[in-house]
Amino acid sequence: MTAVEARRCDVLVIGSGPAGQKAAIQAVKAGRTVVLIEHDRAVGGACVHRGTIPSKTLRESAAQATRLARDAATWGVPLRAGVEVASLMARLDHVVSAHAHYMGRQIDRNGIERHHGRARFVSPDTVEMITVAGARSSFTADIIVVATGSRPRNPPEIPIDHENVLDSDSILSMLYLPASLTVLGGGVIASEYASIFAALGVKVTMIDRADRPLKFMDGELVAKFVEAFQRAGGTYIGEQAIGGVTFDGVSKVLTTLSDGRVVASDKMLVALGRAANVDELNLGAAGLAANARGLLAVDEHCRTANPRVYAVGDVVGPPSLAATAMEQGRRAARHALGLGEGAGTETIPIGIYTIPEMASVGLSEDEAKKRLGAALVGRARFDEVARGQISGITDGLLKLVADGTGKKLLGVHIVGEGATELVHVGQMALLGQMDVDTFVENIFNFPTLAEAYRVAALDLVQKR
Amino acid sequence: MPTQQPPPLAGPGSQEPPTSSAPGADPGERDALRRRVAERLGTGTIVLPLLPQVANQVLALTSQPSVDALQLSNLIHRDPALAGQVLRIANSPAYMPSMPIVSLQQAVARLGMETVTEIVLAASLQSGTFKVPGYEGALKRLWRHGLASGLFAKEIARLLRSNVESAFLCGLLHAVGKPALLQVVADAQRDRHRERGTRGPVPDEVLRELLGEFHTGAGLRIATSWALPQPVVNAIAFYASFEAAPANRREAAVACLADLFAADFDEPQPPFEEDIRGQPVIGELNLYPQDVAQLLAKRAAVARTVESMTL
Repeated sequence: MTAVEARRCDVLVIGSGPAGQKAAIQAVKAGRTVVLIEHDRAVGGACVHRGTIPSKTLRESAAQATRLARDAATWGVPLRAGVEVASLMARLDHVVSAHAHYMGRQIDRNGIERHHGRARFVSPDTVEMITVAGARSSFTADIIVVATGSRPRNPPEIPIDHENVLDSDSILSMLYLPASLTVLGGGVIASEYASIFAALGVKVTMIDRADRPLKFMDGELVAKFVEAFQRAGGTYIGEQAIGGVTFDGVSKVLTTLSDGRVVASDKMLVALGRAANVDELNLGAAGLAANARGLLAVDEHCRTANPRVYAVGDVVGPPSLAATAMEQGRRAARHALGLGEGAGTETIPIGIYTIPEMASVGLSEDEAKKRLGAALVGRARFDEVARGQISGITDGLLKLVADGTGKKLLGVHIVGEGATELVHVGQMALLGQMDVDTFVENIFNFPTLAEAYRVAALDLVQKR
Repeated sequence: MPTQQPPPLAGPGSQEPPTSSAPGADPGERDALRRRVAERLGTGTIVLPLLPQVANQVLALTSQPSVDALQLSNLIHRDPALAGQVLRIANSPAYMPSMPIVSLQQAVARLGMETVTEIVLAASLQSGTFKVPGYEGALKRLWRHGLASGLFAKEIARLLRSNVESAFLCGLLHAVGKPALLQVVADAQRDRHRERGTRGPVPDEVLRELLGEFHTGAGLRIATSWALPQPVVNAIAFYASFEAAPANRREAAVACLADLFAADFDEPQPPFEEDIRGQPVIGELNLYPQDVAQLLAKRAAVARTVESMTL
């Protein structure tokens, strides 16, 4: 191979997902020349093509199907049995391509030089790109931002064949709804898909080592989620290790549990975490190495051990949220360019797109008790709120967590349709360091689900 | 798109040497045969015949008091005619599926083995077996090509972390028009012989031309009449021109690449490893040199599977 002279640019970004895109836009807005390398044909990364956008679109379709099924009797409209995956997926294709197109236009409009290829370090400041056709070119940059994202982790003991045993990428191209689905895992992706497929009428069995799914979330919220999941026909089997997974060669995936039980299903989804995309980066040439968890270690500014290399998004590990990744990308670029990052925030909301949704911001009840020794909690059930009754959203719950005096707001936790939107009211209250009384003294539109804040605040005031 | 020529068709199985008036030797006769094929396609029904060996295996398996589910499942997964017929019958009003049956495994899971056994038996009886002396070898080669394409399509889909079931069916059935057309060409040739008192098989070159020209149309007629799943229909219609596919472009591209790999498997044509990297479908599927190398490394395993399944 003959050496190719490297082109220079101020900032080189590898990966065009939410983190990479925001880093590139921030840098170009600061007047720097920016080159963006994306290994896929379209921009957007896993978020747009295999993660956030597709799963949320599928969830929306499933939620609509649930609402239609619920209201069918009221309107005397018979629903056809079975849902065609083709129609669900057609909508998904449309949404994904529209979003990728929008992101591509935004990148181009900002004057970012976009390349399609795979990148690998050849020195601490130089990256070589190889195209699909095998052509090579090199870029040298003052700042390099690694935003290569992640992919589903495939545990070696589970035979993922993308035919009967699927991961969260291949499940998106399923041809038909199986009658039954086993979901391995109890995290966000496992819980989201388990509830989506249960809502679509699939008999779902979730299996995990933990006694309940989503251990990092408020237990009361999770209990509500599990109840709804079970009402939809789902089963959660906790505290079980996987003894083995096999396909019977005909039509069933057989999962042997540590207690000897065997669960048979048409298909299996393996959702046991994600692996960072660092294998092809040739990190050693940049003086870097993945840590024991396969991630790139960074400081509070998202800077790696090589001061000109930053890493953002899934490649640095949890929380692996698109919103967080965007902020990491923006902050990394600003720090690298000496622009000042602004005050950091700990009030990052978590949104989980299960059916029903869950959302959380600030401290949980347990965390508040641990940190402050005491905490008071106010609750509002959605069936106590007029809007909940009107919209048929009665299985929701909103919890306000306050300090021991019941005055200072510390956290907001919600389960129920609309939770991921509703949580932002709480987030703003936390950012504004408002007291719980703010919710009592102010007026919300009536009827709205936001009224639950007032109901929960009143409940809390009574407990002082 | 496919650049390699398929292997000889009316090859070693051929009993009779061409005569001076056989279609290949005379451009006028070649055109007459072509017109006759077009007429038969325009008017008659197209039958996708079963290999006699497949029909025999179906009978042997289904006559047992307890059907071996694994063997039956393997059988329907390796034969394009049987696979297509099973999908057609499984979707017929007689079985009233609550949702369209779009894969063979779905048929087994939804309908149960007993019903599928019944369907397989009905499918084999309705298909009829291939009985054209001189073309058995050609049919077997097309059959092998379909199976190899299905298996390569699976490997490509796995690499792409995409749906393997759909890819397999698209690969298996993408050129389903060819074996069906073989019977039509043989029948048209028999007509010409009868009219002219000649004999002999259609030369390879002519047969290849006819299959190339008419197989997509024949395949689409079969796909439509059998109500095959839409990705399969689009793979049949657009595997050689995936850029034009209005939907299921990826499935069509996967079928295209699988067809190229299978063609090399039928008749290796060096330097395949170099040629394949330059194909537009490689860019379409975003396969980098390392990805192509991974696929190339799968060839031996696919070859072994095809050989083990060959009847």
